[in-house]
Amino acid sequence: MDALTRTWLLLLGLTLATALLAGIDGRLAALALLALAWLKARAILGGFLHLRAAPGWLGAAMLPLGIWLAAIGALCLVALG
Amino acid sequence: MRIDDLPGELILWILIASEVLVFAAGLSAMVAMGLRDPQGFAAAQGHLDGRLAALNTVILVTSGLFAARAERDAAAGHRRRARIGLGLAGLGGLMFLALKAVEYARDIRAGLGMDGHPFYTFYYLLTGFHAAHVIAGVAVLALVAIRARPAPVQAGAMFWHMVDLVWVLILPVIYLIW
Repeated sequence: MDALTRTWLLLLGLTLATALLAGIDGRLAALALLALAWLKARAILGGFLHLRAAPGWLGAAMLPLGIWLAAIGALCLVALG
Repeated sequence: MRIDDLPGELILWILIASEVLVFAAGLSAMVAMGLRDPQGFAAAQGHLDGRLAALNTVILVTSGLFAARAERDAAAGHRRRARIGLGLAGLGGLMFLALKAVEYARDIRAGLGMDGHPFYTFYYLLTGFHAAHVIAGVAVLALVAIRARPAPVQAGAMFWHMVDLVWVLILPVIYLIW
């Protein structure tokens, strides 16, 4: 199996996990859904956009994305009370 | 970490970063607005069909695989295979748009208009803006398939993966977390 197919299967698995979690209410589920989005973004940037082969760049892309998703998660926690 | 290590053209990475920032700003504004009325946002989100959005995610990531394979085939000089991959990726984009149209029609029939609630204003603006990028992406894939040369195919595939990337960020904020 080549790396592109592995990336695709990983994305399908993460999408399935997202669909399963979508039916659950609550703060933890919301945070887990945002974490899954981060993992999907990482798979796309690293596997399809080849940042995994560019030293340092995948981390440089994922750090601000992670900080932004964490901020969204924090706002959600406030909203969900 | 050097600029030269980045795969593809630097301008495309600037485009990708710009687009992600634009959508992130829109999604952040939506969440900030939701702080004023979390119950209203949750109720509004409850009317959306998350199953269609999940199916569209599967369609987009699968078309992303075809685009990535087309890029690899073009780089290896397999132009015919690259064209087939680009065609399948574009077909995935058209399927995404068809499903989105079904979803919008269902929403409008249910009375979920853009001005019904602030949630729906963001919903239509952000998913509509994304759909516009899908239309542009399908056109780009078709254009680069004409000659199927390595650099343009790589650029087209990168644009397509950006569309994919933005969608996976839109999905939880609009369809799931409220």
